[in-house]
Amino acid sequence: MKDQRLETRVDTQTIKIEARKAQVYYGTNHAIKDVDVDILDKTVTAFIGPSGCGKSTFLRCLNRMNDTIPSCRVEGRITLEGEDIYDPRVDPVQLRARIGMVFQKPNPFPKSIYDNVAYGPKIHGLTRNKAELDEVVESCLRKAALWNEVKDRLAAPGTGLSGGQQQRLCIARAIATSPEVLLMDEPCSALDPIATAQVEELIDELRSQFSVVIVTHSMQQAARVSQRTAFFHLGNLVEFGETGQIFTNPRDPRTESYISGRIG
Amino acid sequence: MSLGPLTLIILALGLAGYLIGRRRAIAQVAGDIRKLHSLPPFYGRITALLTVVPALFLIAAWLLAEPAFIETKALSLIAAEDIPAGKSAALVMADVRRVADGVARLQDSGIEIAPLLASPSALKTALNGAAIVLETEPTVSTLAAAAALRDALASSRFALSIVALLLAALGLGFALSRITPEYRARNATERFAMWLLVASSLVAVLTTVGIVGSLLFETIHFFQIYPAADFFFSTEWNPQFRGGSSLGLWPLVWGTLYVSAIALVVAVPIGLMSAIYLAEYASRTTRSWVKPAIEILAGIPTIVYGLFALITVGPLLRDYFAAPLGLGNSSSSVMTAGLVMGIMVIPFVSSLSDDIINAVPQSLRDGSLGIGATPSETIRQVVIPAALPGIVGAVLLAASRAIGETMIVVMGAGAAAKLSLNPFEAMTTVTVKIVSQLTGDTEFASPETLVAFALGLTLFTLTLALNILALIIVRKYREQYE
Ligand SMILES: Nc1ncnc2c1ncn2[C@@H]1O[C@H](COP(=O)(O)OP(=O)(O)OP(=O)(O)O)[C@@H](O)[C@H]1O
Ligand SMILES: [Mg+2]
Repeated sequence: MKDQRLETRVDTQTIKIEARKAQVYYGTNHAIKDVDVDILDKTVTAFIGPSGCGKSTFLRCLNRMNDTIPSCRVEGRITLEGEDIYDPRVDPVQLRARIGMVFQKPNPFPKSIYDNVAYGPKIHGLTRNKAELDEVVESCLRKAALWNEVKDRLAAPGTGLSGGQQQRLCIARAIATSPEVLLMDEPCSALDPIATAQVEELIDELRSQFSVVIVTHSMQQAARVSQRTAFFHLGNLVEFGETGQIFTNPRDPRTESYISGRIG
Repeated sequence: MSLGPLTLIILALGLAGYLIGRRRAIAQVAGDIRKLHSLPPFYGRITALLTVVPALFLIAAWLLAEPAFIETKALSLIAAEDIPAGKSAALVMADVRRVADGVARLQDSGIEIAPLLASPSALKTALNGAAIVLETEPTVSTLAAAAALRDALASSRFALSIVALLLAALGLGFALSRITPEYRARNATERFAMWLLVASSLVAVLTTVGIVGSLLFETIHFFQIYPAADFFFSTEWNPQFRGGSSLGLWPLVWGTLYVSAIALVVAVPIGLMSAIYLAEYASRTTRSWVKPAIEILAGIPTIVYGLFALITVGPLLRDYFAAPLGLGNSSSSVMTAGLVMGIMVIPFVSSLSDDIINAVPQSLRDGSLGIGATPSETIRQVVIPAALPGIVGAVLLAASRAIGETMIVVMGAGAAAKLSLNPFEAMTTVTVKIVSQLTGDTEFASPETLVAFALGLTLFTLTLALNILALIIVRKYREQYE
């Protein structure tokens, strides 16, 4: 019943990011081959696949984070709202403000918890005064399910939190810039089940405002939070479709054996 | 026995100990080494260590303590009237040492000694022929002292040989007696190694204590003949050879701080910015030649920098800045020395900071860039704060170098002590004055000479305070950010 409602909504949505024949090379290593993916607006898309298949690599193409790796080369066409993001006229800094990212390993800055979250709003000038900034920080920390744990020590260093708290801090930091797309690379790999559930709830909530792409190794998580799922294998996009269809009725034998635990 | 063969014998005993210890361990289990607690070489090693190390320590300690014991006796033999007026007993004692040494050498080269010892003047010419120059005329009493010194030295070395060999043999016997299959030779070797390491670090610590101690000793001596209040509170530095000098500390400290401050103002921004360029922007190939090029600066001898200050920078500053601005026409100036010294310490700041910035994890940069920060925002707000403790350390190292520098100051800033704000005036620093006070012609026990030790101690305190300050800054910062 619920699934059906989701599917109808998916069909009516516009395409946010479109990748056509995307290729990524690390030196001579061809890490992503001919990937075509549409990321829909206000949808959660999950990337699944065995370790080393290129999920993180492809994710990092979407906000040009691969620019920071000297040996990395991207080919093909990736557009955000119809505009080629690898066009020389596009400013990658502006692009990354629109497409936020949460990394596999928590990486809080060596600053206070408050300053970690306020970092994005400050550099982009999103707030007019301290009161507004305070509000943004509080709401982001609340959304990331961290507020209750840190509200009394906002001035304490962010690096002093536990691993799971640090990851939620990074999520709060990423959503504070109000991106249009949020890329999350295994955001829950350091979290306990309770925090994971909170983050999943957050992802579901975020879907009402922007689209989310999440890389995960947990089939259950992909099934729980996403509406669409892409399965990668050895740099190829094997199958991409509605989450319900991928998990119940995969078309490709490789997808089926991965989901049922036979490859990976 | 002289030291070389003695050491060799002890080492040979150690080698023998290794072989015997190993064999003994194996023999005790009839060749089945699985029954031993440790592998056979460990039994050999601990035996060798117990044989060699205590004996060598004894030799080192003996050699350190020896002069104090044998020289007091020789010193007491020197007649009071043989010490020339205005010279110290230490000076005469140095000659006694030279005579003792020289006589031994003459003897070695087959010259008949007895007639020389009878006639001091003949002895002096003979020693001169052997390239040994005496400061004073040898007298009967100094010759007696020299003879006593030689005798004492010979018997001391004989005793040392006996005791050291005995100790080595004892160590060997003790180690062998302990070898049983249950004996934990591996752990014992480990403990022994640890104590050896402790002893090495102790040498470093004790050396520092010794340096400070000797400075302190002479400084106390200085304050006994010169009022401390004048040293600390007078603003005039004007040493006189005939006494009645004013030895105020402040002009020198001011000069030191002024020159170092200018040097840091030059070196810290340039060094830090080139470090940031190297670590964050430069391609690998650029980095591979720019970094060594900057580091060459650290390898240039300071006297070369001094020349550069003296013949290039000094006149340039005078002709284009000081003279047109009416700030004086001296080519030696604080500015000259400060600028050149700044260039000298750039690599201390840049090279260390570069390593530290490189050590900041890439994930932090990714985090900041992923939010849409520009590279320079990332550097200012994330990378530099994360690297700050290390950068403070680098700056401090540069500051200590600047404070301790002498050559560039002599050639760039001159040797005139002055308290002035004008950066184009000649001034001088503590280190320069230490050199000039000690190399002067004045008597050692005069305040004009001893003040060098008080200045040295002041300098030491200054750098120590700087280090403590940096430590506090770093710790406070760590508390905040870790
Ligand atoms: N910085 C890099 N330089 C060179 N090769 C890289 C780099 N990062 C990834 N690769 C290679 O690209 C391929 C894909 O790696 P990627 O990190 O995208 O895998 P992944 O699917 O995210 O794996 P995991 O689930 O373990 O995170 C791998 O073969 C990897 O060795
Ligand atoms: Mg990955």
